[in-house]
Amino acid sequence: MVNRGNHMKTSSSHRSFRRIGAVLATAGLLVSACGGSDDTEADSEPAAESSPEPAAEPAAEPAEDDTLGEAETDVTLPPDDDADSIFGGTLRYGLEADVNGLNPTSSALSAPGLMMANAVFDTLAVYSEGDTSTPHLAESFTASDDLMTWTMKLREGITFHDGTPLNAEAVLVNFNAQRGDPLVGLAIMPFFPQDDSAAVALDDLTIEFHVNFPIADFGSIVTGQLGMVASPTWIAAAKEDPTLNQAPVGTGPFKFDSRSEDSVTRFVRNDDWWGGDVYLDAVEFYPVTDGDDRNNLLFNGDLDALQTTNQASILDLLDSDAVQNIIDDTSEESFAMMNTAIPPFDDIRARQALAYASPVEEYVELIGLGVSRRASQRFTPESINYNPDLVQVSNDPDTAVALVAEYCAERGEETNPLLGTTTCTDGKINIELQWSGPSVVQTRIAELLDEAWSVGFNVTFQELPQDGHILQTAIGQYNVNTWRQFGAVDVWTDNVWLLCATINPAGLSLNWPRNCDEQRDALLFQATAMSDLEARAEVLKEAEALINQAFTYVFFTHTTWVNSFADNVRGVCDHTSADGVKMRCAVSGRTWFSKIWIE
Amino acid sequence: MNYWVQRLTASLMLLLAVSMLTFAAMNLLGDPLFNILGPAAADTKPESLEKVAAAKELYYLDRPLPERYVRWLGDMVTGDFGVQFGSTGQPPVSELVKERFPRSLTLLVMAQLLAAMIAIPWALISAARANKPADRISTVNSFLLIAMPNFALAVILKYVFGIKLGWFPLTFKATDPWLTRVYQTFLPALTIALPAAAVYQRLLRTDLITTLQEDFILMARSKGVGRRRVLFKHALRPSLFSFITVFGINTGTLIGGSLIVENIFRIPGLGSAIVEAILREDFPVVLAIVMIITTAFVLVNVLVDAVYTLIDPRVRR
Amino acid sequence: MSDTINRRLGPLFWIAVGWLVLISLLALLAPWLPIKDPDAYYLVRGERPPYAPSATHWFGTDQDARDMFARTIFGARVSLVIGFVAIAFGMLVGGTTGVVAGYLRGRTDRIVSFVFIVFLSFPSLVLAILITALLDRGLVTIALTLGVLAVAPVGRLARATTLSFAEREFVTAARAIGAGDRRIIIRELLPNVVIPMGALALLGMAVAIVAEGGLAFLGLSVEKGPTWGKLILIGAGSRELEKSPWIAFGPIIILFITVLSLNYAGDRVRSYFDVREIGL
Repeated sequence: MVNRGNHMKTSSSHRSFRRIGAVLATAGLLVSACGGSDDTEADSEPAAESSPEPAAEPAAEPAEDDTLGEAETDVTLPPDDDADSIFGGTLRYGLEADVNGLNPTSSALSAPGLMMANAVFDTLAVYSEGDTSTPHLAESFTASDDLMTWTMKLREGITFHDGTPLNAEAVLVNFNAQRGDPLVGLAIMPFFPQDDSAAVALDDLTIEFHVNFPIADFGSIVTGQLGMVASPTWIAAAKEDPTLNQAPVGTGPFKFDSRSEDSVTRFVRNDDWWGGDVYLDAVEFYPVTDGDDRNNLLFNGDLDALQTTNQASILDLLDSDAVQNIIDDTSEESFAMMNTAIPPFDDIRARQALAYASPVEEYVELIGLGVSRRASQRFTPESINYNPDLVQVSNDPDTAVALVAEYCAERGEETNPLLGTTTCTDGKINIELQWSGPSVVQTRIAELLDEAWSVGFNVTFQELPQDGHILQTAIGQYNVNTWRQFGAVDVWTDNVWLLCATINPAGLSLNWPRNCDEQRDALLFQATAMSDLEARAEVLKEAEALINQAFTYVFFTHTTWVNSFADNVRGVCDHTSADGVKMRCAVSGRTWFSKIWIE
Repeated sequence: MNYWVQRLTASLMLLLAVSMLTFAAMNLLGDPLFNILGPAAADTKPESLEKVAAAKELYYLDRPLPERYVRWLGDMVTGDFGVQFGSTGQPPVSELVKERFPRSLTLLVMAQLLAAMIAIPWALISAARANKPADRISTVNSFLLIAMPNFALAVILKYVFGIKLGWFPLTFKATDPWLTRVYQTFLPALTIALPAAAVYQRLLRTDLITTLQEDFILMARSKGVGRRRVLFKHALRPSLFSFITVFGINTGTLIGGSLIVENIFRIPGLGSAIVEAILREDFPVVLAIVMIITTAFVLVNVLVDAVYTLIDPRVRR
Repeated sequence: MSDTINRRLGPLFWIAVGWLVLISLLALLAPWLPIKDPDAYYLVRGERPPYAPSATHWFGTDQDARDMFARTIFGARVSLVIGFVAIAFGMLVGGTTGVVAGYLRGRTDRIVSFVFIVFLSFPSLVLAILITALLDRGLVTIALTLGVLAVAPVGRLARATTLSFAEREFVTAARAIGAGDRRIIIRELLPNVVIPMGALALLGMAVAIVAEGGLAFLGLSVEKGPTWGKLILIGAGSRELEKSPWIAFGPIIILFITVLSLNYAGDRVRSYFDVREIGL
């Protein structure tokens, strides 16, 4: 834990919290797509894996900026029914970073990790091209009338790669293992009761889930890490011998073959895959932290695919005619986030001042590079839940200065517990900006923010390694940081970041800003129980307005995920659920491999 | 014999001192429990508390610092470098070292070879044309090379040969065949080799010029032996003494320089491993690599001394 | 004997010194110079940075439209300060310890020598990384860290020089007339040791400046403010080198000339005074 130096003077508060908090798990995944490399943007934030939003097909992706023009629609069409798909070939996939382990019950899987997991694990449900989940590994989900009891039925005859049968018992082992893990468990906590009543096996293939509040679409929660089912035999063995975390055993279209950390992870075809034919012989994953290097490898033919959020890399990919690009900016948002639990941001005037002083236009121009669109809320303009009346204030230093003056006049003598100084010095508010590094882009962002905020704020920098950054945020030891979050396909799984219930004053809080609004909670719960999407949208728009008025986030951009494939890779978006429902092509930068073949 | 016993004892004490310094620094300034267990370190669930207890036992975290040091030392001497910090079961440190050591070694060996291959002919030519324009230009060149910081040189070489000319690949892939990997290591090796070659060349040139003025050289020339022959056969060998000494001692400096170069060219060797490990506060890895580097350093010094004693009869004790 | 004995420091020496004085002055007076604001974003609507060198931006701008010339000058402030403080600390601590050890000999000398050797055997960059990563990355910490690393090499030289002088007649003579140890060290030895140390100081500054650059490349340099290493790092990505090489090359050139000047000046001082020594 690297968190000393500046805070050596503030002894107590800082250090003691370090021992209390545990890093949190996210509702399923810590989608931290960065290896702290130069090219990755504000990524170290757990993303709500959960509900992928309606698959944003590239063609349906209206671009505001010209540069996002035609290239997006450049995805291969599905092969003709009578064309012979070719069996064979290895797909070499370039990722932004490597992961520490591949155990969905005990490793915090970031975006690269989830990508690899997609090869070897199946999820209980998947997202269809609409915004809803559809059963996949599970056969069906049935709800009780009050939407608080969900019965999940599994399919018969599926076995894991090691021969263990897939049954209710196996699923329960996974479920309980995840609940017991300090990381992953924290994400599940809000949804289920703490005791054994949360999940009960009714028979060999049926499980009954009890949830804490009415949920209209339970399947959403099991479309990501939480829905990945690993072999219970393997889970038990990995507990004894943690090195096995590197060699996952699931039910997926590919089996684990070999792994050399920071070099290559290889999966080979599972010939007995329950979901049908698998065309590729193998899938190999290469972590390449530098975005330019990754692009070059793809252009040179040393890679067949890659995944990236780095805007500069994306510009080059869009420019090229030699690749197919899947572009999706309906997932996370990038923003600056404030901690409302401690001064100065416990006062809304300070928060407003920061927002008004923020250089969002410059951010969109210099960091967004025309690739990422400006964001005012959690939804993109195409979404049914988009509230057109909301505006993210920014670029208004005069208003900011006035607010700062007001705050300092009244509360300037209080203490900022993080810095150990008074809240205001020389008429400006003292704050600490945290981010995850080392990363050239992140440093540029910090300097950009500092320059603009300096009209009313004295900014101290604190760059931390990724894990440390997440921890500090979770235990509320920050003033403001740069973060990436939201974008759950099915919105309600993002509630975890917003509810009063997920604030723990003394420990971990998944509601990072620690901002409690009971009225907002009520609206969110109401929306969770509604299946009429149009009516739900109205409720969500109200909730979004409350988020906007709380000034806990300064939204910058919608994160743009791009998955690029070489021209000879086919079937990139052909994956379907077990019942033949066409799946969303990409969810937060992850794609599936079951129907891919190489020409 | 007495001298060597003294030498070895001093070297051992040195290694001990370095290890104590590093061990103390890491353990006093960092938080091993969090680094080992991650989030579980602070969690209150029973499973996590179990993990905490297990970790404390495995790593002797509750014992006083000196005791932990002695235990670590005992393990290290028997070849057990411990386990990487982290709760997701990385391979043991010795695996990591085994995997990465050859790459760093290749880089270093290539660098020194290149440096020697560049420096010796260069010095010979300069000495032969001492003080003529060619020599003056080369003196300037070598001076420029020495002044160039290694990371700046890396950027320049990467730009000129990697991007503009495209002669060399910019990435290192561990899965490539050996020859390809050597090719990928060429540019980084050159980055390290060029400044070193400049240093060697300056030294060798000076010594050659001095030797060329000795009596036995004049004798040979007066007997009619050709200039080139005189240079190669008679002048080179005696002039090599300082060169060999500096060559050996410089290995230590090169090891340090290779850290940055490994990072810039993204070669997965010991240099990048230790930088990442320090940032992650992965103590066993840091300690292991520090010990390896220091041991290598000490060994090289002893070796250089031994070689020097052997080849120069004047220095025999 | 050897090829050329330079009895003069030479014109190049003064050019090097001139450059050093110039860059130091620029660094010192930077806030008052009529150059652009190093932290300001000179965005031109409709044109995406980085902007190539031009009359408005002599060294061009970086990806965020910040003026590279101004940033390089301001970067000099940090880099030069680090170099200076580091070597000053090294000379103060290392120099004193070395002289004392060289003079007193015996047990003090053995202990001090051992400590020096320990530090010299340690790959110094690793030590620097260790300390900056574990502590903080303020200007003082980094400068002092590099200073601590300078102690051993400086001390070793001071000790060696002292050893060679301590045998000389003038020291023996001083002792014969009853001068105490302290007096001898201060009045007889120190003045003679200072000169080779001066040369080392110049060389040492170059090393410290380069070391800061190395740390910056690992992401471990000073947290706020431009330094030469940080500037070069931002411009050193493959994409930047291909499309906008000026970002890295501006600072590289200034850094190179400064280090070159320091090296050359140090070298000339050393050979100049060495020769005088021989003449004695």
